[in-house]
Amino acid sequence: MAKLPTPQQLIADRPAFPDKHWLNVKSEFTPGSFCYPAKKDTMELLHMPNPHEWDPAAEDWGLPENWERILCDAFADRLEKHRSLKLFMDICVRCGACADKCHFFLGTNDPKNMPVLRAELLRSLYRRDHTMLGKLLGKTVGARAWDKSVVKELFYYAYQCTECRRCSLFCPYGIDTAEITMIVRELLHEVGLGTHWIMDPVKNCSFTGNHLGIKPHSFVEIVEMLADDCEIVTGIRPKTPFNQKNAEILFITPSGDVFADPGIYTFMGYLLLFHELDLNYTLSTYASEGGNFGSFTSFNMAKKLNAKMYAEAERLNVKWILGGECGHMWRVLNQYMDTYNGPTPVNMVKPVSPITGTEFTNAVSTKMVHVAEFTADLIYNNKLNLDPCRNDHIITTFHDSCNPSRGMGLLDEPRYVLKAVCNNFVEMPENTIREQTFCCGAGSGLNTEEIMELRMRAGMPRGNALRYVQQNHDVNHMACICAIDRATLPPLANYWAPGVTVSGLHELVANALVMKGEGKRTLDLRQEDLPNVEPDEAADTGEEQ
Amino acid sequence: MDAKTLIDTNKDEILRQWIEAVYSLYPLETTGFVRTSSDPFGNPVGDMTKQAAAAIYNAITGEDTAVDTVKAALDRFVKLRAAQRANPSQGLGVFYLMKPILRKLLLPQLAKDDLETYLGVESRLDSLTLLAFDMYASARETLADLRITEIRNQHAQLTRWAQKHGVISTSQAR
Repeated sequence: MAKLPTPQQLIADRPAFPDKHWLNVKSEFTPGSFCYPAKKDTMELLHMPNPHEWDPAAEDWGLPENWERILCDAFADRLEKHRSLKLFMDICVRCGACADKCHFFLGTNDPKNMPVLRAELLRSLYRRDHTMLGKLLGKTVGARAWDKSVVKELFYYAYQCTECRRCSLFCPYGIDTAEITMIVRELLHEVGLGTHWIMDPVKNCSFTGNHLGIKPHSFVEIVEMLADDCEIVTGIRPKTPFNQKNAEILFITPSGDVFADPGIYTFMGYLLLFHELDLNYTLSTYASEGGNFGSFTSFNMAKKLNAKMYAEAERLNVKWILGGECGHMWRVLNQYMDTYNGPTPVNMVKPVSPITGTEFTNAVSTKMVHVAEFTADLIYNNKLNLDPCRNDHIITTFHDSCNPSRGMGLLDEPRYVLKAVCNNFVEMPENTIREQTFCCGAGSGLNTEEIMELRMRAGMPRGNALRYVQQNHDVNHMACICAIDRATLPPLANYWAPGVTVSGLHELVANALVMKGEGKRTLDLRQEDLPNVEPDEAADTGEEQ
Repeated sequence: MDAKTLIDTNKDEILRQWIEAVYSLYPLETTGFVRTSSDPFGNPVGDMTKQAAAAIYNAITGEDTAVDTVKAALDRFVKLRAAQRANPSQGLGVFYLMKPILRKLLLPQLAKDDLETYLGVESRLDSLTLLAFDMYASARETLADLRITEIRNQHAQLTRWAQKHGVISTSQAR
């Protein structure tokens, strides 16, 4: 008679030493561990190579017949094109400084999620074809051949990296594993492998300018609805200028803040702030998306989707561009935009704040300023009437979004703004913030619900630090400056630190902003009661409404 | 030796062996790291496991048996087990890894007439595992809810727009 397994047998204690070399352990594609594949018609519309239907959980991924040649040629091409990639392949000494810095590794404890080993997946292929030792000695020097399980493995781990670059911060050579991940994703696209969550927004952006594919008239109407909501809260209906030629400033922000909860409140914050400043600005229905999922696809796709910013700046004849709170949008703008789409149209000039006269010399080349810098400058020059007591029910911390913090060094401006609009601010532990910030666990196109469980693992280090300040300092709020964060941090907080709410910076700015001619504020932008308003005053205003 | 003294004497060894047993569930290449780093934020899995070990010890020895404090102390660890890649028996089976350790360390030296105290320890471990089961199930439900909420939130404003234009009804919007 069969015996019941013991608890030890049930939880499958591993042998003292693994029976396989780590490189030979195959990836298991169980539900929840992979993103859904991109649709064939989406890939066809985008003229992506080798579009086909496939299922990550299936044995056969339907790769084109000459898949190995395609991948080898594509890899050789990228090595030729990007000297940095060749350098990254050559110089790693496998010191392991990056190993325990990756949030995916910390959450999954999967050795191949150590950045060094994730890169080694590609480096082993590089050794075989591009190094003399690898050609001669093969496996003994860590070289290996392509096979279909290697392709699967590359897919599995390239989409378990959020390109957050925390590992590169600790690398003594400055190897940017995020760029290695980007290249791996590019290579996989050569044989028709992409994910739906990334490619669908790419398609929508290509055709209508924004991730959800909302047409211009609907986009305007949705923004108008947000302006209506602003009026309910403040008594003032902010202007919503669209496609205004000769405006001084073009404002571009991720469309997630127009469509998604709680990003919409950040967008309302922008509308109210700009209205109060009487800023000569315009929104655009064409450049209606700051986000760039092309940057999670390939460099060429990122360049193509980003081009609309300058094209629209030229068409509308604006002087400079103000950019909203976004993560990867700023990585593209700060690191790649100049080479992708520069030089700027001739009508654009060095950004100067029309309110304070401050010259943004840091943006002299791209002519694009981050809204946190813009607002910090306003506050520094005492141009805003703020009542931070309205946010007194909030004890907030600040999540440094990976791309603005590590990608462009935007560390102090958002904190400066946050401290001006909230009286209660608490930092998370030192090794989880600023340059060392932990990713939300779902950046770089991984913010899709089918991998929620994986996201909770990857976001665990961030959730753990948040939970620490919640339990030790009564933190009940986390501000951030990234639209993907605004979508991904609420579930992360609900899982690891329930009770902590998440918002963008400018939602809190608008809550604290005392506007000229506004009604008595009894509600915050979410139309929830402001607890610090005297009851009798609240009742009075309630009747008015 | 009476059970209470015996357990107290072996506290460090019990905790060490259980923590090692949990670490050994992870791949070999990973174990060294979780074992050596003591930074609660740089090595959260290690920190959560150590916190859970202390909570289990306090609960099974009867030092801290208030349900709320036991649950609070185990919360992070159980959530970790619920989110990490494993089936439920693997997720919660870690608590039963304590039994062979206790039996090996304590039973041979236990005075014959003090078996009842020892059985009390095991019973409390069973209760604790049942409490953890509730927490585990709740964490899995939260995961499922998060997916639903996220799908709804992604298009929140679009849904309002569709309602306004009569494209969908209010009940559909929910």
